[in-house]
Amino acid sequence: MIDAQASVVDASETFSQAKEKALIQAAQKGDKHAYHTLYELHVKRVYALCYRLTGDRALAEDATQEVFIQLWRKLTNFDGQSRFTTWLHSVTANVTVSYMRKQRGWFQRMFNIEDSAAEYEQAESSSAEVDLESYIVQLPERARMVFVLHAIEGYRHEEIADMLNMAVGTSKAQFHRAKQLMKEWMGYGDE
Amino acid sequence: MVMSKFEHDLQQQLDSLSQEKQPQRDLWKGIELSLEADRKEVTESGFHGKHVALAASVALVAMVSWFTLKPFSPDSQDTLNGQTLVQALSNQHEQQMDALLVKFEGQPAVTQNWKQQLQELDSAANAIKAALEEDPDNTALLKMLQNVYQQQMMLVERVHAPKWQQI
Repeated sequence: MIDAQASVVDASETFSQAKEKALIQAAQKGDKHAYHTLYELHVKRVYALCYRLTGDRALAEDATQEVFIQLWRKLTNFDGQSRFTTWLHSVTANVTVSYMRKQRGWFQRMFNIEDSAAEYEQAESSSAEVDLESYIVQLPERARMVFVLHAIEGYRHEEIADMLNMAVGTSKAQFHRAKQLMKEWMGYGDE
Repeated sequence: MVMSKFEHDLQQQLDSLSQEKQPQRDLWKGIELSLEADRKEVTESGFHGKHVALAASVALVAMVSWFTLKPFSPDSQDTLNGQTLVQALSNQHEQQMDALLVKFEGQPAVTQNWKQQLQELDSAANAIKAALEEDPDNTALLKMLQNVYQQQMMLVERVHAPKWQQI
């Protein structure tokens, strides 16, 4: 019974992958309907990453649009060697980081404003009712971006340093900072 | 290394974090508008580019035809001789190539070796021009030169057109 269920799941997975491959190939040839279907399949994933990186709904929605506009132009670069979702996450992370730089004045946000209040503000509540998502979006910008890219997206600190134009040590320090802040907000205190 | 309770709980929450989130507004309309604007821009630039090539082609054909069909009058100072025509063709071609290269500046090319191909065509044009110096009134050579110039313009246009546009 379990084997039969597994076979059905495998078949369904294979079908989805074949469908996705056909959609990608059609979109690469300029088929906008196919691209719309791809958008519908992936917009929630892209938006989730944009939201975690930006920490702001409106900015995340704008960044999501920018991702899909850029993706249409870059789609011919996808050669099918890696999984489409892996490639899409990489494009999303890069486009969003670049979008944030353009939108808010990268240097101002990275070096002046972000440290002024966030670190000293208490998160909404320190109870377990508040989910991880709300803690993430309340992190200071650099700490949040590093945390999302490393802990959730699985990037190495070397890759993050390159992407965010910072030293590898800074990326590690920001990750540590993010964890310390969350530890405090979640009420763990000194362990 | 022993994981602290916080690290353990954090990892659990990370593992259960949803990979998806629903945006609050419809984002597709804005994306579609932008893609449409992109498409128009590409079509218009393609249209413009084709017109540049067409205009160049018409001008070259007109000049060569005029040269070929004109009554032979070797003594007239006003008559356009073969060398003058070659010079005029080359000048006009140079201006049109410059315009095309400026237009596509910064745009990625489909093939890596297009500049090499352009140089090879340049060498062919130079060889024909050298032959025309010896035989300035040879219409077959003039037409060959015209053909090489057209190939150069087509090459620049073709390698800079997006892949999907070529399908």
